[in-house]
Amino acid sequence: MKALMSLGALIGVAGLLLLGGMVLDVVPSTYIRLVEGYMPIQMLLEVACYVIGFTGLSYTLNAMGMAIPRFWQGIGFWVFFLLYLKYRMYPPIPFSVRAMYGTVSLVAVFMWVSASEEDWQKFKQPIMNVLDAQTGGNRILRYLYLVLLPILIGGFSFNAMMPKSEEPIELRTVHPAPPASTKVHGKTYTLQTSQNPYRVNPEGKYDQEFSNANIVEQGMGRLMKPNANPWDDKNQGYLKYVREGGEIFFQNCHFCHGDNLNGRGLHAFAFNPIPANFTDPGTIAQLQETFIFWRVSKGGIGLPNEGFPWASVMPPWEQHLTVDEIWKVVLFEYWHTGYYPRTWD
Amino acid sequence: MGLLAGKRVFSIMALCMMVGLLLLPIVVALPSLAIGEEAPAGDAAKKDGDKVEKGRDVYYKTEGIVVGAPAPKTVDGPRDYPRYNFESRVLLWFANQQHLYYGSFVLAVPIFCMIIEFMGVVTKDKALAKRYDQLAYDFIKISLTAYSLTAILGGILIFTFLTLYPAFFSYLSGIFRPVMHIYALMFVAESGTLYIYYYGWDKMKEGFLKWIHLSMSVILNIIGTLLMFLANSWIGFMMSPAGVDEQGRYLGNIWHVIHTALWNPLNLHRILGNMAFGGGVVAAYAAYKFLASKTDEDRAHYDWMGYIAMALGVAFLIPLPFAGYWLMREVYAYRQQMGITLMGGLLAWLFIIQATMIGILFLSTNYYLWQAMGRMRGAEKYQRYIKYLVFILACGYMVFITPHTMVMTPAELKAMGGQQHPVLGNYGVMSAKNGGINVIITTTVLSFVWYMRGNKVSTVSWAKFGNIFMGIFFGAAYFNIIFLAIYGYYIPANVRVGLSVPQVATTLSCLFFMFALNSVMMKGAKQLGPIEWGKISARSQYALIMLATAFTWMMGLMGYIRSSVRLFWHVNEIMRDNSPWAYTHTVGFAANMISFNVLFFWITILFVFWLGSLGAKKVPVESKAGIPGGVPQPAASH
Repeated sequence: MKALMSLGALIGVAGLLLLGGMVLDVVPSTYIRLVEGYMPIQMLLEVACYVIGFTGLSYTLNAMGMAIPRFWQGIGFWVFFLLYLKYRMYPPIPFSVRAMYGTVSLVAVFMWVSASEEDWQKFKQPIMNVLDAQTGGNRILRYLYLVLLPILIGGFSFNAMMPKSEEPIELRTVHPAPPASTKVHGKTYTLQTSQNPYRVNPEGKYDQEFSNANIVEQGMGRLMKPNANPWDDKNQGYLKYVREGGEIFFQNCHFCHGDNLNGRGLHAFAFNPIPANFTDPGTIAQLQETFIFWRVSKGGIGLPNEGFPWASVMPPWEQHLTVDEIWKVVLFEYWHTGYYPRTWD
Repeated sequence: MGLLAGKRVFSIMALCMMVGLLLLPIVVALPSLAIGEEAPAGDAAKKDGDKVEKGRDVYYKTEGIVVGAPAPKTVDGPRDYPRYNFESRVLLWFANQQHLYYGSFVLAVPIFCMIIEFMGVVTKDKALAKRYDQLAYDFIKISLTAYSLTAILGGILIFTFLTLYPAFFSYLSGIFRPVMHIYALMFVAESGTLYIYYYGWDKMKEGFLKWIHLSMSVILNIIGTLLMFLANSWIGFMMSPAGVDEQGRYLGNIWHVIHTALWNPLNLHRILGNMAFGGGVVAAYAAYKFLASKTDEDRAHYDWMGYIAMALGVAFLIPLPFAGYWLMREVYAYRQQMGITLMGGLLAWLFIIQATMIGILFLSTNYYLWQAMGRMRGAEKYQRYIKYLVFILACGYMVFITPHTMVMTPAELKAMGGQQHPVLGNYGVMSAKNGGINVIITTTVLSFVWYMRGNKVSTVSWAKFGNIFMGIFFGAAYFNIIFLAIYGYYIPANVRVGLSVPQVATTLSCLFFMFALNSVMMKGAKQLGPIEWGKISARSQYALIMLATAFTWMMGLMGYIRSSVRLFWHVNEIMRDNSPWAYTHTVGFAANMISFNVLFFWITILFVFWLGSLGAKKVPVESKAGIPGGVPQPAASH
């Protein structure tokens, strides 16, 4: 047990040193890489390692007679987590989300330090000592707080109220709700029920299972399935349509959406926001094919009111492509990313 | 003997009367269930077959004879939208919300009474049975005053509709005409049953008569539930109309109008929601009384009452997210557009607030249970592990509340390198959120298990094996939930949606199997000390108040979301809202309005509680002897 706790303490100290280095900009935040595709679970595991490390550290210091008071444990953990979010995570997390996580962690710390009466008494003790001011040091601290706290709160208020020249916050809707139907090249498509006419099996019938079996593998490799290479001239049907869609994509779309479909094309960084990243599980993987068909056809100017502030420069592709070409390019996007379009059956 | 026989006759008569009241609306409606204008139309059809106009049901796609007028095409003006110098929609929102709060409360409390009365009847401990019975009686007494308020608020709601939205109300009542009076008669039946149930309490408190009395509570709840189903059919119709053609003309099949795409999910969601809400309100009442108590006996009584109400409320809270999930699934299936507006589009941020509230509910529950362990000797052994539960809960909570549509400045957007963050983007979608909430619920179940065995040591020979098995079971459950959450990113969306079933099954397995196993293990267990009712921290009671406030706030929020998803429609895609208020409020305004509704409800319910306490003060001292407040035991009960 002691050995385990010592190991935990070692992890804790190493982790703290690493984070300290990142805060002071001595160690780059990419020193331990967040692996693409595994970042979400990696973040949770890292924080779990820190918790284990801190437990070991606390146990070891306790055994050495240098126990950290519960009050400072609580405050310390909260500060650690805020620093972790700010300096370890990359790309940087917006302040609004950090504020949410910070609040949750503050509540969690409160729950931890007040879960039992004994812990709560321990946590409160330093505060009570200052309020009671039985010793000279505490008396000085109390006077200091009396002066500093109003100044601090005043400072925060002043800072909050002071007009700033920052760009205003935008609550942009990533996926505005589509209309029930859309008219493209004179034909009306009901988004709930329409299907991609090129998602077909060798018999020429609509077959999502068949097409799903022929898309690339998801993940970093994005390997093609055996005998499912659209650029093989012998392939007909679905894979041929994917190839045609790919040709259209590389002639029209990849300049912005990138040749990996990750939204990092040649012109991408001329725009803010940069174009949609189709490889992210939060974009086309969440949507019906008809949604993409509608967005491609109508472009940025076709966004509904709720899509405000319409920060999209995508042209209405119905003015440049035929309906068949749009369906094919949608087919290619799903094939290349390895995602399945959403269905309801 | 004669007196007893008389009572029996009286009880059976009362029960028969209730059944009669229950059947009354159906009997009245029997000659022609779908009255309306069907009969004349039918006659016309006989006279001149060619002139019969047929329409196609917008949802069921069946053909039917048009028997109703089309939905009115309203225009902004005093005829369709008369108004005071105030936003009519806000007035209606207020009246509706208050009616719903009270309606939920008076529907939930009788269900509680039924459960608690039943527990009192079946328990072998007579002192405990008496406490349960008194508790149920106290509940129904509170609900009686609230019942009057519900009716008054219902009247205000109808007047508000008639005054401010006459065209819309006229259309809706025209569509539901065949069942409008059934609804009204159900109210009569509900009132009659409630009064007999309440005033017959003392006369039927023992033996066979008690069972009759209990049966009455079952009938009372059946009527209440049917009432709610009928009311739900209106909002179901407004969201996902059926039984009418494209112009909104009634096609003569009232069952189609009632049984819309969203009716059943709404019914289930509301039953569970009402129960959780009712539990929260009663728990807050008990917490308030606990904090105001001056004697140990009172504290013991209200501590116990708060615990029972919390446990019942949470029992219905646990399946609530799953019912909500079903509702959303049906919404998506009905209209993708509606689903995206809710979960990914315009109203997505309100759903983040909702997730935050759900998290608060579960966190408060866990916190209360940990505090409650402080009143039993022997539970200290679990205290040192609580920090790990806090960590698991916090992780689940953070994933659960991560928004898909993030609030950020353009500079932050640029620094992030696009709209999709590689970490947050993954947390912001359903697969991760399902994992998050199931982790939270499983942890709550674990807290409950710890609480239930806090002051006990199992004496069964296989106790060690049982403990190891439980540990492995919970570990495997966490693993399965998290694994499925990750696996969800690698499969088609329609399969991913289905993954919620094994996740939910895992959570519910923990709930049922672990509770059952724990009960078996703790049968005849060695007691390390009694539960010292009343010796609980004040923080725990604030957690209960937090629980109730979060319930109330969340109900207000969800009602608003459900209603505003229709956007500029009174009846989705059938009747357009042409008033000047056919726009969606800002998140800030909606939050303020919900807070106002919550505040108003709590002020008025405090009045109701105060009225209830006035009655209690009048009870003669000698009759109080059996009131359970004076009996802080039995300790072993959970």
